[in-house]
Amino acid sequence: MRIFERLFPVLALVIPLAGVVWTIDQFGSASVERVATEALIRLVFAIGLYIFAGNSGIVSFGHMTFCAIAAYATAWQTCCAMLKPITMSGLPAFIRDNTFPLLPAALTSIALAGVVAFTSGLILMRLSSLSASISTLALMFILNVIYSNWTTVTMGSSTIVGLPVYVTIWIALGCAVLVIVIAYLYQVSRWGLMLRAAREDEVAAQASGTSLYWSRLIAFTLSGFVAGLAGVLFAHFMGTVSIANFFLNHTFLIVAMLVIGGMQSLAGAVVGVTFISVVIELFRRAEVGFSVGSTQISIPAGSQELILAGIMLLILIFRKAGIMGGKELRWPWSVRDDGTVVGVGQVRLAHSADSHR
Amino acid sequence: MAKSPKQKLQAKNVHVVFGGIKALTGVTLTLNAGDILGLIGPNGAGKTTLVNVLSGFQKPKPGTIELDGRDVSDLSPRKMAQAGIGRSFQAARLFRKLTVLENLTVAGLGIGLSRKAATSQARDILDWIGYRHGHDRQCDSLPYSDERRISIARALALQPSFTLLDEPASGMNEQECELLMDTITGIPKKFGCGVMLIEHNMQVIMGVCHRIHVLDGGRSLAEGSPEEVRNDPNVLRAYLGDRASRKNAVI
Amino acid sequence: MAYFIQVLIDAVALGSLYALVALAIGLVFGVMKLINFAQADYLTVGAYSLVIPTAAATPSMMFGGLPWALMIFCVVLSITVLALITERVAFRPLRNTDPTTLLISSFAVSYFLQSLIIMFHGGRPKSVSIGAALTRPIDILGLRVGGVQFLTMTVALLLLIALVLFLKRTSIGIQLRAAAEDFSMARLLGVAANRVIAIAFAISGILGGVISLLFVIQTGTLDIRMGIMPTVYAFFATVIGGIGSLPGAVLGGYIVGILSVFLQAYLPEEMRPFRDAGVFTIVILILLVRPQGLIVTSAAKERV
Repeated sequence: MRIFERLFPVLALVIPLAGVVWTIDQFGSASVERVATEALIRLVFAIGLYIFAGNSGIVSFGHMTFCAIAAYATAWQTCCAMLKPITMSGLPAFIRDNTFPLLPAALTSIALAGVVAFTSGLILMRLSSLSASISTLALMFILNVIYSNWTTVTMGSSTIVGLPVYVTIWIALGCAVLVIVIAYLYQVSRWGLMLRAAREDEVAAQASGTSLYWSRLIAFTLSGFVAGLAGVLFAHFMGTVSIANFFLNHTFLIVAMLVIGGMQSLAGAVVGVTFISVVIELFRRAEVGFSVGSTQISIPAGSQELILAGIMLLILIFRKAGIMGGKELRWPWSVRDDGTVVGVGQVRLAHSADSHR
Repeated sequence: MAKSPKQKLQAKNVHVVFGGIKALTGVTLTLNAGDILGLIGPNGAGKTTLVNVLSGFQKPKPGTIELDGRDVSDLSPRKMAQAGIGRSFQAARLFRKLTVLENLTVAGLGIGLSRKAATSQARDILDWIGYRHGHDRQCDSLPYSDERRISIARALALQPSFTLLDEPASGMNEQECELLMDTITGIPKKFGCGVMLIEHNMQVIMGVCHRIHVLDGGRSLAEGSPEEVRNDPNVLRAYLGDRASRKNAVI
Repeated sequence: MAYFIQVLIDAVALGSLYALVALAIGLVFGVMKLINFAQADYLTVGAYSLVIPTAAATPSMMFGGLPWALMIFCVVLSITVLALITERVAFRPLRNTDPTTLLISSFAVSYFLQSLIIMFHGGRPKSVSIGAALTRPIDILGLRVGGVQFLTMTVALLLLIALVLFLKRTSIGIQLRAAAEDFSMARLLGVAANRVIAIAFAISGILGGVISLLFVIQTGTLDIRMGIMPTVYAFFATVIGGIGSLPGAVLGGYIVGILSVFLQAYLPEEMRPFRDAGVFTIVILILLVRPQGLIVTSAAKERV
């Protein structure tokens, strides 16, 4: 029972997600399934961003960098054996002339994203939190400029097509569950706790022996790995990779999802992604138009972006901590702080009187 | 984690200047293990600045801080905390979205305890200061006096050799002050560490301190037993002279 | 040598431009700890206000068709009003929250404005031509200098000088600087919060309007992203200058502007597309050496 209680914050997210996916798999149309799969991949990314931003309180606008790095890396390894020597002639020969199996390709791509996150974090995490936020933006611009112009390797701003498409809704769910568990284990770990302390009060955290630099760097690196996983999933869900997908618009969407759900809890990330995915899908359909009787009704293009920005502002103004208010879902019947706990503490006190010395 | 307790924390000829204003001028003091040293002085005397210097948040220029004879002036606040100097803050500065227990656990982790050891130590300390209920309460909803107590407890969770308490009694009522005095008196006995106490409440200072160091205008004015300080004409002048109307001037 | 001097003029022109945007961002940051993404959209909206909202690629003129003095007045006025509206509607309710929340909210405002432009004007770039006469090169002391570069440099330098004089000499400017140094102290000394904040936004609107015109004269195109690059450059300018320092913002603006022009001029041909990446990398390296920026203010340090 205690185990169940401790894992409840994770189970309460994972089980409903699985239920929804099962329902869609059984009864949903192909297009609904696509939308849901994409939402799950965004969830993976959002949780990656949450691991850093949620626990550290430093919002990153640059995590698409790691997503893009992994997506391109897996594209280089797995796509279009015939065309690759021509379209991406600048690749090292052993990559250009070979096609690698999917799983090793995915793992190396994720690893590359993590390494880049660690390396850039070595510099960025030294900065004050606001400067770090802005510098993550620099990171994304650097990557964007390089990948948009490194024509012989990335095909510049053109789209790489012909990646194997293997990401089904179940694979996306599996990855989402995996990263939810990772994020949860991280946030209750010693490093997660120290980072959350630093988020609440940098000065007091330092006075309590916490290293701002290392606790942030660890989170930044871990979140880079997870963002990399999202990149691989995007690539092998769409079958295409294009640098334009890894820039400001997508960043805005994910940040908006996190903010609306509540940046400071895992539950907030899940709720935000789900809620906004549904809202966006409804508006996308409304923009395409639907017929009531014989009349065709549609709302002007661009409304979904306006609505999204609008919701985000309203949330920031009226409920800053997001829908979930920064809280995890908790086992509703738990007993805390009863007399027994105190009793145990007192027993411990007796033997710790000398262990302190 | 085996940490050898330190015996002596010294500030030697410490100067601090903020944008032309001399916050501290040549302050020298010694804090011994097992001692409770009061640090008093009018507002702006440099008391908090001295605590900041001793805990690594402010570099003395010039001047040195020595811990058992080792120069630690250049250590970061984190290293100072790990070297055995715990401090509380005037504004408590709890981790507001964390629970009471987690607040103390963080400090335990900060000195390298395992997660489990840090948590159980946190429970012990909370019990010791008499905070037995609400370990899982989030710190943004605590009463003021509890905030102060948790702040002290968090400093103790560093297993410090020296604990620096910055106005722990502010905003407490008489009864809460009594409890606090018991706690402070008990710290050296229970944890073996030296305590430095900044406080405006003279009842608390006179009640718990073995020695008192008086600062005025960034300079050391006097040091001695409560009795000596109480009768020191310089101290009386600093407190009663031109500041006779101050509320906290009654010694 | 002549080439070098031309590059130098370009560098000063662009540096002054970035310094202006950085100063606008720095002023708003000073008074309410907001790093304003929406500055990008003040620029973009200013440029789009020249033309009538249609989806056409070469739209007919709105403000762009007016005599130049009136055109400048209308563009600057509408962007100033826009800046004040965003302050009133989006930022004022958030005034006392943390800088991160404010940063995110400005990201939302920026996205909102950008979507609004897309809704009215469509998402594709448009071409528009104003000030064609200014693009002719002119001779100064035997050097042929692009008319636009000369105009940009002159206008940006004049604006910068005017702004510095305003901040140093006028009472409201001094209040603004005081507020930027230490807002709560300034309030205690009787500086009216609403007024200085409104003025900071008005200045960022005025600068946004003027700079948008300079950009359109230079490029002859409208693009929904046109405001982003200068604003991002200005962000980095304020960061390397030292967040919260107005002289730092100007210094940072010149550093990124000059870096950008010199990389463009002296990088080998095939490397030039990577210029921005080069500038941003250098920015990050500067931060590696000076994490708090070149000019450290008291605002950057948290009081214990």
